[in-house]
Amino acid sequence: MNTLCLTLFAALGALGAQAAEIRIVATTTDLADIARAVAGTLAEVSCITTGREDPHTLTARPSFIVRARDADVWIRVGMELEIGWEPVILRDARNPRIAEGAPGHIDAAAHVIRLEVPTTRVTRDMGDVHPSGNPHYWLDPLNGRLVAATIAERLSTLYPAHQTAFAKNLKTFSDALDTRMFGAAWVGEIGGEALWKAVAENRLEPLLAARGLEAQAGGWYAALRPHRGKTVVTYHRSWPYLAARFGLLSDLQLEPKPGIPPTAKHLATVVEAARARQARVILQEPFFTRKAAEFVAARTEAVVVSLPMMTGGSPEASTYLDMLDTVITNLSRSL
Amino acid sequence: MAGAALFLITTQHLEAQPDADALRLQKLEEELKAMRQQIIQLQEQHAREIVELKALIRPSGAAAADDAQPMSSPVDRLPLYESLKRSVIPTGSAAAGNTGIDLDLAVVLDGALYHTSGEGAPHLRGKTAGFGHGHNDEDGHHHDHGPHNGFNLRHVELGFSAEVDPYFRAWTTVAVDEDGAELEEAVIQTTSLPYGLTLSGGKLKSGIGRINRQHSHNWDFWDQPLVYELLFGAHGLAEQGAQLTWLAPTSFYLLFGAEAFNGANENLFNVIGEDPLPQHDAPRLWTGFVKYGPDLGDRNALQFGLSALSGRHQVWHEDEDEGADGRTFVYGCDFVYKYDAKRTHGAGDFTVQGEYFFRNQDLTGVDSIAGEPWTHEQDGYYLQTLYGFRPRWRAGLRWDQVGLTNTSTTPEHGRERFDDSRRLAAMLVWKLSEFSLLRLQGGHGWYALEEGRERAWEIALQWQVTFGKHAAHDF
Repeated sequence: MNTLCLTLFAALGALGAQAAEIRIVATTTDLADIARAVAGTLAEVSCITTGREDPHTLTARPSFIVRARDADVWIRVGMELEIGWEPVILRDARNPRIAEGAPGHIDAAAHVIRLEVPTTRVTRDMGDVHPSGNPHYWLDPLNGRLVAATIAERLSTLYPAHQTAFAKNLKTFSDALDTRMFGAAWVGEIGGEALWKAVAENRLEPLLAARGLEAQAGGWYAALRPHRGKTVVTYHRSWPYLAARFGLLSDLQLEPKPGIPPTAKHLATVVEAARARQARVILQEPFFTRKAAEFVAARTEAVVVSLPMMTGGSPEASTYLDMLDTVITNLSRSL
Repeated sequence: MAGAALFLITTQHLEAQPDADALRLQKLEEELKAMRQQIIQLQEQHAREIVELKALIRPSGAAAADDAQPMSSPVDRLPLYESLKRSVIPTGSAAAGNTGIDLDLAVVLDGALYHTSGEGAPHLRGKTAGFGHGHNDEDGHHHDHGPHNGFNLRHVELGFSAEVDPYFRAWTTVAVDEDGAELEEAVIQTTSLPYGLTLSGGKLKSGIGRINRQHSHNWDFWDQPLVYELLFGAHGLAEQGAQLTWLAPTSFYLLFGAEAFNGANENLFNVIGEDPLPQHDAPRLWTGFVKYGPDLGDRNALQFGLSALSGRHQVWHEDEDEGADGRTFVYGCDFVYKYDAKRTHGAGDFTVQGEYFFRNQDLTGVDSIAGEPWTHEQDGYYLQTLYGFRPRWRAGLRWDQVGLTNTSTTPEHGRERFDDSRRLAAMLVWKLSEFSLLRLQGGHGWYALEEGRERAWEIALQWQVTFGKHAAHDF
């Protein structure tokens, strides 16, 4: 028995030596993709979800426990998105490096801009309301940028020897994101950092007007700029971050309350509101049933657009930036 | 600034009046001069601070602030991430509604409207040949845990759990019903042992089999399989003792567990220890189990388990003044396969699960029947399948069979063979949310009694709500 164990350990040791230096496990595909961008070749990044399922409900499978057991760094979306399965994985993995509160446990929500943080006492009568706010924050590209910075910062603390590599990778990722968001012309003229700052402070348009750059709009910003103020009906409250960032309205949901399935009575009010506001799009996550959306579409001018809300949610959405690209391109086409 | 302007206006107003007190004017001018100096000093201090702050920021900021943009305050000079970091409230802070007390409380209310035919299925299960409290079992008294026709508040389960300190977590579960309270579990568990080890102690549900560890509100069906109810009893194997588990460092899931328990299970591991039966010190029950789960990709999950139990057991028949002493051995195997359709709320998900147990009670008579064999060999299995036919709805089918091997030897009756008992159950569950469910289950059983086979059907409409903290589900 002893020799068997020793052989087993030796074999595992040899395997470990060949693998990348840092083993990162992210709960969602978006975090995994951002972590890959930041850590580059220094880390081997794996992921719990595939991007095709509802991240709220997932079964904590034995293979997840094995991955968490070997992880040096664990990254979660946080804000209670993974509350139904993360605790079981972390408990059964018996890995103190990634236990909640340990340096190897990164809560990606730590420094993001949060929306819909309840100001009153949360009861379950409100449906699936998260006490720390709406957790679908990765659909705001600015939050994607902040998550990358959060991950880079923590990795630099954990692995100071690679600090410069992380900083360089973070810059590459941020530059790519900025170019996709604003187009090369604006980023070249003003710089991504300054553009985002203007966005965060709600003074982007005046800044561009002052610099005479309005006509050179590019990227996602230009794609959705003509649609500002339009209403997008959504199934679940997954999309407020995207809508808020691009000036769309997303206050009409097919769900009467978060996580509560559509009712006929509620859909009737949605139909009425969607008609009044001339909504053109019903945006829906691929894993929800389309019946309710089709009901509303048949009674309004809107069409049902099923788009991935996570990396890997559709074949084109293979990276975080491509996922946002797919969502924004398709949305601008349908609006 | 506004104050200064007002001040100036006032002074001008004073100058306009020729009969104004010259002394007062001079005093005011002096005050104004002093204020100007103060403002200049403040401005200089401010400028110095900005330079100092810049010096602090420059070396760490990988992305230099954009010089094209004129900035006014030190916060604006920070890189975007740093400046937003300061303006955003971190999650889990007091502002985010965290009360700062780490105690999770969960309450489960579990009730049902139940009906069974004739004498009643629970009654027949109590008399199942080879398993029940029939003539060849020890204690004539009946522990009736079964449901009754009509409304049944099965129990109110109170669960408390918390991280104790950096070394332990603990939880306790108390089931309260109209007759009193029963301690289901009270466990202290290590959280920071090295090498994938976890040590638990207290009163705990044994890790053997698959559903033994589940509390009744987590069962996939309203009731537990026949083999569990007849072998381990209404509460499964939950004992005072200790458990050590080891998560092996293999590329697949491999968990080993060993347990030592007092051994106080009425059906299997019960030591009376009164003359003429010999005394045996606890711990008297030892278990071991292995669980293995290969990685089958994103949609499929599989787990196998093996269990073995060995413990002291005694029986005593008051009326005949005879008893026996020896050991009970139980061997079990289980599997579960789950298919994840990647749709919402369990739609399209599919589960198949089964467990088999074999028990061998090898006792020897004492006193008047000293040396005579007193043995029981029984087994049983169940096979169940569940399918999520639409979001939040699941349908299930379960087949139970016990007593495929069903032999008993007692000094009074000699060697006897009994028939097997069977049951088929169909179930429909609607999970309105994560916190409430409605379940309808119907079952038909063929029970082998000593006097022959009897049939009974039963039907239950169950409701269950959870409030407080909803614990995450195990695999």
